[in-house]
Amino acid sequence: MILEALEREGVEIIFGYPGGANLPIYQRLPAHPALKHVLVRHEQGAAHMADGYARATGRAGVCMATSGPGALNLVTGLATAFMDSVPLIAITGQVASRTVGSDAFQESDIIGCTQSVTKHNYLVTHADDIPRIMAEAFHIATTGRPGPVLIDVCKDAQQAEGNWEYEACSALPGYRPAYEPDPAMAKRAMELLAQAKRPVILAGHGVILSHAEQELLDVAERSGTPVGTTLLGVGAFPTRHPLALHMTGFMGTGWNIRAVQNADVLLMVGMRVDDRVTAKLSEWAPRAEHFIHVDIDASEMGKNVRPHLEVVGDAKRSLTLMLPHVQPPPSDRGEWLTQIDAWREEHPLKYAQSNGHLQPQDVLLDMYRRCKDEAIVVADVGQNQIWAALWWNYSKPGLFINSGGAGTMGFALPAAIGAKFGRPDKDVWCVAGEGGFVMTAQELSVAVEHQLDVKIVLLNNFSLGMVRQFQDDFYGGVRSQVDLTQMPDFVKLADAYGLPARRVHKLEEIGPAFDEAQSTKGPFLIDFRIDPEANVYPIVPLGKGLNDFWELPNGA
Amino acid sequence: MVHDRLRLLAVTVENHPGVMSRVSGMIRRRGFNIQTITVGPSTVEGRSRMTLTVDAGYAEVDQVAKQLDRLVEVIAVEDITEAPTYSRELLIARLDRVPPTVEQYGARRVGNNLVELTAETDTIEDFIEFLKPFGIQELARTGPVAMRRTAQQ
Ligand SMILES: Cc1ncc(C[n+]2csc(CCOP(=O)(O)OP(=O)(O)O)c2C)c(N)n1
Ligand SMILES: [Mg+2]
Repeated sequence: MILEALEREGVEIIFGYPGGANLPIYQRLPAHPALKHVLVRHEQGAAHMADGYARATGRAGVCMATSGPGALNLVTGLATAFMDSVPLIAITGQVASRTVGSDAFQESDIIGCTQSVTKHNYLVTHADDIPRIMAEAFHIATTGRPGPVLIDVCKDAQQAEGNWEYEACSALPGYRPAYEPDPAMAKRAMELLAQAKRPVILAGHGVILSHAEQELLDVAERSGTPVGTTLLGVGAFPTRHPLALHMTGFMGTGWNIRAVQNADVLLMVGMRVDDRVTAKLSEWAPRAEHFIHVDIDASEMGKNVRPHLEVVGDAKRSLTLMLPHVQPPPSDRGEWLTQIDAWREEHPLKYAQSNGHLQPQDVLLDMYRRCKDEAIVVADVGQNQIWAALWWNYSKPGLFINSGGAGTMGFALPAAIGAKFGRPDKDVWCVAGEGGFVMTAQELSVAVEHQLDVKIVLLNNFSLGMVRQFQDDFYGGVRSQVDLTQMPDFVKLADAYGLPARRVHKLEEIGPAFDEAQSTKGPFLIDFRIDPEANVYPIVPLGKGLNDFWELPNGA
Repeated sequence: MVHDRLRLLAVTVENHPGVMSRVSGMIRRRGFNIQTITVGPSTVEGRSRMTLTVDAGYAEVDQVAKQLDRLVEVIAVEDITEAPTYSRELLIARLDRVPPTVEQYGARRVGNNLVELTAETDTIEDFIEFLKPFGIQELARTGPVAMRRTAQQ
């Protein structure tokens, strides 16, 4: 009945792993050929694949695991999806209902364990409840602010034949997503924006989730307001647009930081205003007279920053309601934009070119020249993630996928595999550090088994680079437990898994390696041996305000 | 604990197994702290009514109601801290001996050495002070139940 429900919800693919407590589901799986099942090599991989699939397609990703250790292995993946508001359905097997609570073999209280990392979860003890619960789960996962929903199904409920009447769920008494904002608030927002001398718009993941990029562009262009994005909002606004401020926050661009810190009106759309955006909160946006916050989740209003104006609603609906009230830019807007241009020139993105080492930016810029706005880039966590966010000119939403809120190392490879399953028409690139890569490298087997065209770009700096940089810069230069010189030979590792690979040491080898990767069908890995001392800049020292950002040191 | 960080909430929830754990889990996870909690069936089958007193901790005080409202099984949350409310708590105490003057507090003797009092929390606390010299062997309090004095539009 679970599989029927998945079919009814239009699911085409499940990422899963069998075990004692979900055998009844697996027994029936072959009878549902429309449901493609991908056998992962670790359940964490299943959750991240479902996550990457969901982010690349906008549809709910589905993962499945057995009870106890199987279900627990999903938890990191659920937390990752939860922090980034990704729609996921996780179906776990549970011991038989009459043995729940007896510490039965492979029993774990996965409902308790995942309460704080799911949007909602269900324990199913009766087969009769399956259709209703499955329908509710899809409704909850995919509407409002999306998120993961876990359904823990007792083995006996999987086996029983219950009442089968499936009706998609469209409303629940305790769950009412606030799509429609108050039009008066939307109008007021545009009045405030029109009065601003130094307005800035910041766009987050919510803009991408609600497909509001066109409305955002319209509001920005018609009002002459510059737009920055959060890490998860990268792509919500074209990075090369004249009004673009690129990424904001603690590793944001210098001109973005200057603009935010000098803005008098900040319009924040579909974002949480978290500590990586604000750095030291008391020093964030000190000149702002009006914060306008647009979000579908009312609890985000005033959670971190108290807005002067709250627009609770879907980003697309909110911006649509704002559009008729947009005022053309006042005559003095040129001054503000000129000032921003000056900051852009004063604080450009820089890297240590030609210091003899291969620089990650050289790799990414070459990649960008090849793929432009068509490929999906899935980044891991660490320096590689920030480089991939800053050094690729994303012009459309949905092309940059990464674990922003949770910062889960090991995310990229499985998420890239999931993204490729969801978007076979797109080139998919996985950009990862060697540390994060080995956390889920076993999923290479999945890429090989399905001959997925996922190209893996390892930015190998022989260390937990981001942590090393923090230690160097903010913890007295004490390098402690960050050395990764003892790692597998990645070319041989790839060979062992059955995919071709290549190692690159020098600038002039980048092009040929990419040529080979692109002309090879199926997965391909390139081990780029980059400058082990390369760092992420700009960066704001921990505990400091945005104004204190550091740039690439001179002579680096 | 600063008094204005205490929120009084009227919450309607689905009477599902585990809903208490969701409510209390949310409160703990967000760094709030439950001072009192009462639950009972509501007039609607399958729904319960809770009265909660919650310390908002470091968070903005409106976060308590907003975070609870995110729970799917929470049907309605009303922060009635600022509203005129009618609030009552029940106390039962077992004493070494029951003073003859308990009636002055509106309390009742119920059985040999038991007394009960239904009153506002402040009065209950005064009453406990009054009882102390008479030897309190055992004491049970419900925590307040509350509602708005006038219905909200
Ligand atoms: C699962 C997990 N453990 C630890 C961390 C903390 N952490 C953040 S970045 C980082 C270093 C990542 O190293 P690597 O994958 O090689 O990427 P690099 O920063 O070198 O590009 C670590 C350990 C994390 N984000 N996730
Ligand atoms: Mg590294």
